[in-house]
Amino acid sequence: MKKNKLFTWITARFPLNEFSAKHLTHYFAPRNFNFWYYFGSFSLLVLAIQIITGIWLAMDYTPTAEGAFASVQYIMRDVHYGWLIRFLHTTGASAFFVVVYLHMYRGLIYGSYQKPRELLWLIGMLIYVTLLLEAFTGYVLPWGQMSYWGAQVITSFASAIPWIGKYIVVWLRGDYVVSGVTLHRFFALHVVGVPLVLLFLVFIHLVALHYVGSNNPDGINTDHSRASDETIPFHPFYTVKDLMGAVVFLIVFFSIVFFGPDMNGFFLEPENYVPANSLQTPEHIAPVWYMTPFYAILRAIPNKFLGLAAMAAAIALMFVMPWLDRSPVRSIRYKGMYSKMAICVFVISFVGLGYIGIEPVSELRTVLAQFFALGYFGFFLLMPFYTRFETVKALPEQLTG
Amino acid sequence: MKYFFILILFFFNTAWAALPTVELEKAHVNIHDKKSIERGAKYFATICMACHTMEYMRYDKIAHDAGVVYERMPVQVTTWPFGVKPPDLSLEINHRGADWVYTYLHSFYTDPSRPTGVNNLILPNTAMSGILTSFQGVQILLPETEWHHSDFGSGYEWYDLLDLQSHGAMTPEQFDAMVSDVVNFLAYASNPYQIEQEKMGVFVLIFLVLFFILAFLLKQSYWREIKRKQRK
Repeated sequence: MKKNKLFTWITARFPLNEFSAKHLTHYFAPRNFNFWYYFGSFSLLVLAIQIITGIWLAMDYTPTAEGAFASVQYIMRDVHYGWLIRFLHTTGASAFFVVVYLHMYRGLIYGSYQKPRELLWLIGMLIYVTLLLEAFTGYVLPWGQMSYWGAQVITSFASAIPWIGKYIVVWLRGDYVVSGVTLHRFFALHVVGVPLVLLFLVFIHLVALHYVGSNNPDGINTDHSRASDETIPFHPFYTVKDLMGAVVFLIVFFSIVFFGPDMNGFFLEPENYVPANSLQTPEHIAPVWYMTPFYAILRAIPNKFLGLAAMAAAIALMFVMPWLDRSPVRSIRYKGMYSKMAICVFVISFVGLGYIGIEPVSELRTVLAQFFALGYFGFFLLMPFYTRFETVKALPEQLTG
Repeated sequence: MKYFFILILFFFNTAWAALPTVELEKAHVNIHDKKSIERGAKYFATICMACHTMEYMRYDKIAHDAGVVYERMPVQVTTWPFGVKPPDLSLEINHRGADWVYTYLHSFYTDPSRPTGVNNLILPNTAMSGILTSFQGVQILLPETEWHHSDFGSGYEWYDLLDLQSHGAMTPEQFDAMVSDVVNFLAYASNPYQIEQEKMGVFVLIFLVLFFILAFLLKQSYWREIKRKQRK
């Protein structure tokens, strides 16, 4: 490469070459990444979309109880391409969870949480929880009926904590009910506090990844510090592959943005087109789809405190998964029959809970939710047993496929 | 004893007769039919705006030309009959859906037990007055024995349960056309950017498909050597 003066000036003072070598051209990744390996880079793409569109939305949004709803309509109707910026942001919110859930599922089936990637998984789980917080605080901002009552319901969860619960609720809301004070502080958290945490966590997620190296669909060890028959430099091979994937992702993403950003009420709920009204409770309050599996677990248990404890446990169990899996192999390809069945049960339970969480409560749905919750918890709690007492297949010498 | 009276009321008050779920009639919204939207805006300005506001359309050209202007909206009224403020309709289609609004506007019927004198099939005990009766005519709720399914295999349509007693100022066809125009305008009011949105969407998707071909060829050319090595 012909080096110009500015470039030499910079590289004498900043490790630009070393950095790009360490993380791109001399970071060696397994050569057999498949479909499931796109979703990490898609998450980064969506993060960028959310930050950029978020900045532009914040320029015209008013975080007060009196002005919030009208300012969103002002953005939609009077700001140049305001509708586009907002639809990118609302579609981005749901897309973020789609890609993160698929990214997590990849980790699940190929055992990417196992030694030595336990910390990588833990940081990833922290990102997921932070993302839930970011989504929740953001959902309140348009100040529609669902924003308001969703905030009312979710902050009231804290009241189930014995003795101090009711004080915590007031502390969270900054008021005795959800009000303009709550809205304003959620705005601060949504645009400054939580994104800073999120960016920091994403950064150390990548640092940890590049320290231990990427896992692969076979779940066998590869050396990420040198090229071999099994590994290829991330750049250019995976950068061009991810670019191709990103275009496919964007085709789907923009189809939604331009031709159906409501997604039949899944991405933008109809009830949220009505301004927040503290005197009128909507008939049916449901969180957005990405939170419904946990909401269904909460509702499946008749006792409020125990329901919340179960909901917290459902997330906590994902954190400790690296220590629940006792299998000698990582990937589902070489695990035994029990593990394969367990993953099927888990997927059916998780999707089933998600569906029930969207629908109104009925007796049958409550029983079904309890059944699926059993499947969900069973997957984690029985993992130490079924992973240990099953016959696994022999690992290949080299990466396959 | 109290419950006994409530029970009596249940049996003898026609307003409380259990209504079946009514199927929503399709509204056939066409946001490209500008003439229809303009007619709908005129109807809105002359009829609906007696009670309803449309605050977020105050800077829109089509609405403005039809007379949907902020100064003429009932924004200052504070004392509404029965204490119910009629909702702002800027986002009504996003909230309820076009089919709902189309069916709702068709399914008013005479009910002397209501202070307005009318009731509605899909929003029972609505506070809205029978302002459309003068156009549509007087409808009554048929007794359950006379309900009949027009479409086999589906639920009841609104016209299966109601009977038009006398014509208003419009024939049923004219009334359908007016309601279609109003719903079309309301749909436009909910998403005034939609035409621009769809047009831009086509260009963006065409661009991305072309970009995909390039990205795919680029990826193939890099990965050829990897694939070759694998085959060996």
